[in-house]
Amino acid sequence: MTDPRYKKLAKVLVEYCLDVQKNDLVLVRAGLAASPLVGEVYREILEAGGHPTTRVALPGTTELFYGNAKKHQLEFVSPIAECEVESVDKLLAIRATENTKALTNVEPEKQKAVAQAQAPLRQKYQDRVAAKELEWCVTQFPCNASAQDAEMSLEEYEDFVLRACLVHKKDPVAAWKGIRRKQAKYCRYLNDVKKLRIVKSGTDITMKVAGRKWINSDGRHNMPSGEIFTGPIENSVEGKIAFTFPACYGGREVHDVVLTFKNGRVVKATASKGQDFLHAMLDTDKGAKFVGEIAVGTNYAVEKFTKNTLFDEKIGGTIHMAVGSSYPESGGLNKSGIHWDMVADMRDGGKIYADGKIIYKDGQFKLG
Amino acid sequence: MRDPRYAKLAGVLVNYSVAVKKGDLVEIAGGAVAEPLLSEIYREVLRVGGHPFLRVSLPGMAETFYRTAKQHQLKYISPVAKFETDHVDKFISIWGGENTKAMAGVDPKKQATRSKATSGLFMRFMEREAAGELLWVGTQFPCNASAQDAEMSLEDYENFVLEACMLNKKDPIAAWKRVHNKQEKICKQLNERKKIRVVAEGTDLTMNVEGRKWINCDGGANMPDGEIFTGPIEDSVEGTVSFSFPGFYSGKEAEGIRLTFKKGKVVKATASKNEDFLNAMLDSDEGVRRVGEFAIGTNYSIQKFTKNTLFDEKIGGTFHMALGASLPESGGVNQSGVHWDIVNDMRDGGKIYADGKIIYKDGKFTI
Repeated sequence: MTDPRYKKLAKVLVEYCLDVQKNDLVLVRAGLAASPLVGEVYREILEAGGHPTTRVALPGTTELFYGNAKKHQLEFVSPIAECEVESVDKLLAIRATENTKALTNVEPEKQKAVAQAQAPLRQKYQDRVAAKELEWCVTQFPCNASAQDAEMSLEEYEDFVLRACLVHKKDPVAAWKGIRRKQAKYCRYLNDVKKLRIVKSGTDITMKVAGRKWINSDGRHNMPSGEIFTGPIENSVEGKIAFTFPACYGGREVHDVVLTFKNGRVVKATASKGQDFLHAMLDTDKGAKFVGEIAVGTNYAVEKFTKNTLFDEKIGGTIHMAVGSSYPESGGLNKSGIHWDMVADMRDGGKIYADGKIIYKDGQFKLG
Repeated sequence: MRDPRYAKLAGVLVNYSVAVKKGDLVEIAGGAVAEPLLSEIYREVLRVGGHPFLRVSLPGMAETFYRTAKQHQLKYISPVAKFETDHVDKFISIWGGENTKAMAGVDPKKQATRSKATSGLFMRFMEREAAGELLWVGTQFPCNASAQDAEMSLEDYENFVLEACMLNKKDPIAAWKRVHNKQEKICKQLNERKKIRVVAEGTDLTMNVEGRKWINCDGGANMPDGEIFTGPIEDSVEGTVSFSFPGFYSGKEAEGIRLTFKKGKVVKATASKNEDFLNAMLDSDEGVRRVGEFAIGTNYSIQKFTKNTLFDEKIGGTFHMALGASLPESGGVNQSGVHWDIVNDMRDGGKIYADGKIIYKDGKFTI
């Protein structure tokens, strides 16, 4: 028998996150390890009257791709993937893998070529999202590979993931609606703010956010969620930021990233581990050196760094910044083939000032 | 370590069956259980310069669909599926699941509704194939569910499947080319004949095949392969056929099938087991009561009936007939959402006459 919590999670994903309606075409992308959850989601979509279609990735195929693909294959954009992006109404991505480090030895140049080739498709997707033609949600299936990164047993990790999704609550959908209301207040306040300054040990960075929109990430796009974010004015970011936690991208880890910005652009990037990869990714395209997102994590059920951005960026008491593409709904204009979130802990003395006034301290908002 | 025979099979499928070329868009569809073979095919397609695209189905999904789907969902065709049918250059299907009887409890009416809905896609696929725009091959991954139907251990079944594909030969591609040459001669002779009569125990059936083309199944579309077939003139089939082997469709099975034809149409259908299912299938659309294919199996390394059409229809010494859609390359024009192959043993006294002259006896061609 499937763990009954997956049925409960499937209901949250289909009813709350994607709000599947009769006749919606719903694409479910997942790793093979997520089969138990995919099965439950598939059933829930049918019960909601939608049309589920699945795309299940097999373990090892991404490595096979990078290991064997020649230039014309790295640069290929599948017309089927294009058709999917153009025609689906709802997209659910369920992450699950057998080995989170399977891509560690792939040449960054190859990853860059793929990111560049896929950029127009990513743009098309984001345009449809911004036009409200396409709803999306991403979630994580608790598999052993991710449990290993989190330094937990599978059972502990299942509990961690499902609690973060509020599936242990009697009515998880009601709980997520409560978070939506609370965050809406923070967003309303920040929408009137012009300038942000973030200060902590090793970090002093400022950016303009006037006219940009703060987005309430209430679990509909990420499950779990719990963050608010915006896209800063692209050329306004100034100063230095030191990221406490390793920055993970495409199966790689970069440690102790420090970025220095001038006129919005990264002018210096250092790391104690993975610096070459960091530089290669920042060279992906013009937009990769600009900030696409600045955000504050508010999910206090997520306390531990687990080397998984979906959870780490939500840790209650952290901020994160993404280099690369912005989310158009925030008003951000930066375009890039990458979007790389990096997380800094604020629980140990971090402060955020809004137009000179302190609004956040030691990992907590100080707004009414 | 993976069984190295899967890499060899992937080589035959990619380089011989559908001959993937640089730049080809190649869809690889199969159940999760076939993962070792799916991965090897993915690798081989990349190696030869194609663009592989995987469509992996999970255990239980088809049953969930039929159990849960309402009418609007049974009738739905995804624009993505349509697009795939219109654009894929090569299509490799891998069959194999966790339970070959998982669909046994599904309401046949729902299956018929679904078949009707997908018939447009199916026809489009066959049109593109007939026009040479799309090459397709289907094969079976040796999984436990199919081994169980075959009444074999998994290891015995792996050997059975892989030997039927001639992977025990040093150069399987050369072996398949020899099969091609041998069958080509038989097809050439049959293309000149007008009337076929098949006689076996409980069977005396005639059909007109004049102007239709005999097709040489040499491993291009099925792996394993080994058959020749044509599509008889649609209103010419007359007489009775009794199938010695059960008929399977979508995980369901009817046994002791006996069909009587008049002017090409099934006018009487009986079965000793699951006659209701047989009749529901025959009622699913207009074309399913007519014969879309008549064929002779020639793979003599397949001797045993294993309840799997891919192998059973190739058994050296059998013929089979398909109810429903013709394969357009044979010149057949019957249209249907169904194509249901049913097999009859000829090794024990069966005879085939062409224009009154005996051409096949006891499971062997005599020409």
